[in-house]
Amino acid sequence: MNNTFDEKILDEAQQWIEQNKKVILATVIQTWGSSPRPIGSLMIVNNSGDFSGSVSGGCVEGEVVRQCLDLLNDKNDFKKIDFKVSNESAWNVGLACGGEIAIFLEKLKK
Amino acid sequence: MNLDLLQEIINLKNSKKEFSVITDISNAKSYIFSLNEKIQEELKENEKKIIELYKSRKDGLIKGTDLFVKNYHRPIKVVIVGAVHISQFFVEYAKSLNLDIYIIDPRGYFASEKRFPSANIINLWPDEAFKHCTLDKNTALIALTHDPKIDDPAIQEALNKKCFYIGALGSKKTHENRCNRLIENGFEKEEIKKIFGPIGIKFGGRSAPEIALSIIFQLMTEIYKQ
Repeated sequence: MNNTFDEKILDEAQQWIEQNKKVILATVIQTWGSSPRPIGSLMIVNNSGDFSGSVSGGCVEGEVVRQCLDLLNDKNDFKKIDFKVSNESAWNVGLACGGEIAIFLEKLKK
Repeated sequence: MNLDLLQEIINLKNSKKEFSVITDISNAKSYIFSLNEKIQEELKENEKKIIELYKSRKDGLIKGTDLFVKNYHRPIKVVIVGAVHISQFFVEYAKSLNLDIYIIDPRGYFASEKRFPSANIINLWPDEAFKHCTLDKNTALIALTHDPKIDDPAIQEALNKKCFYIGALGSKKTHENRCNRLIENGFEKEEIKKIFGPIGIKFGGRSAPEIALSIIFQLMTEIYKQ
């Protein structure tokens, strides 16, 4: 038996849309090594820069928000982004824990 | 993902259906898949692999394709006997877990909606209540009244239906007496041993919220053992 926690992320996305926000859904689609959140983890970002959910343990969320805001202003509706272990400064964007993740970003729209 | 599909996913989740959302990451098109429904043309080629992932309950890309599968699982049914103080904290803590909680208590002043605004309350004696809320091997049964009149019939039903988790509140002495009553009623020692009594993991806390937490921890541990 495999239990998940009850994700309210999609419900929240819908509430944002009802408030006329533009919303991007980010999904962890691949992981290698000791990535902090499993495949299938969700996060949403809106055009005000608010975000909910998580795709890592806090390591890359800031960068994901930035990429989502870029995508909102782009003619493309989706994008795949990858993060690898950060081997320079710990302040660089990357997974301090040594994992690698791929995230799929997509617009939620009509 | 378009908004109609988003709405459909939310509706399916709310109606406690089991399904997958399959996204083609080469064009961001998404599809809903469930075992009982006809598969879409675009997915037919990979039907076998989709079903495999669906059954393994794992999310992921299908090898050699651009198809990403995310599974949505039905919540696990938890039946609590006793609309007591511990149950109130249990419901509160379990809000973000994928549990579908039912509370049975024949005592109306306990089983009130005011005390449990977000749970399914069944204000009946266990024997009657189980006609509306059936138990099976995928159900957890938690007995918290420590009144044998209410707890015992519920525990007996849970043993008969082979619930994967059965826990009962009460001291070691109370539990010993309970086990003796079950033996008198024809249950085998081996079956009775599966009951978690005294319920919960031991960590020192004895207040209602602490006991609720210890029960949740024990229950979740058993869920992952399945």
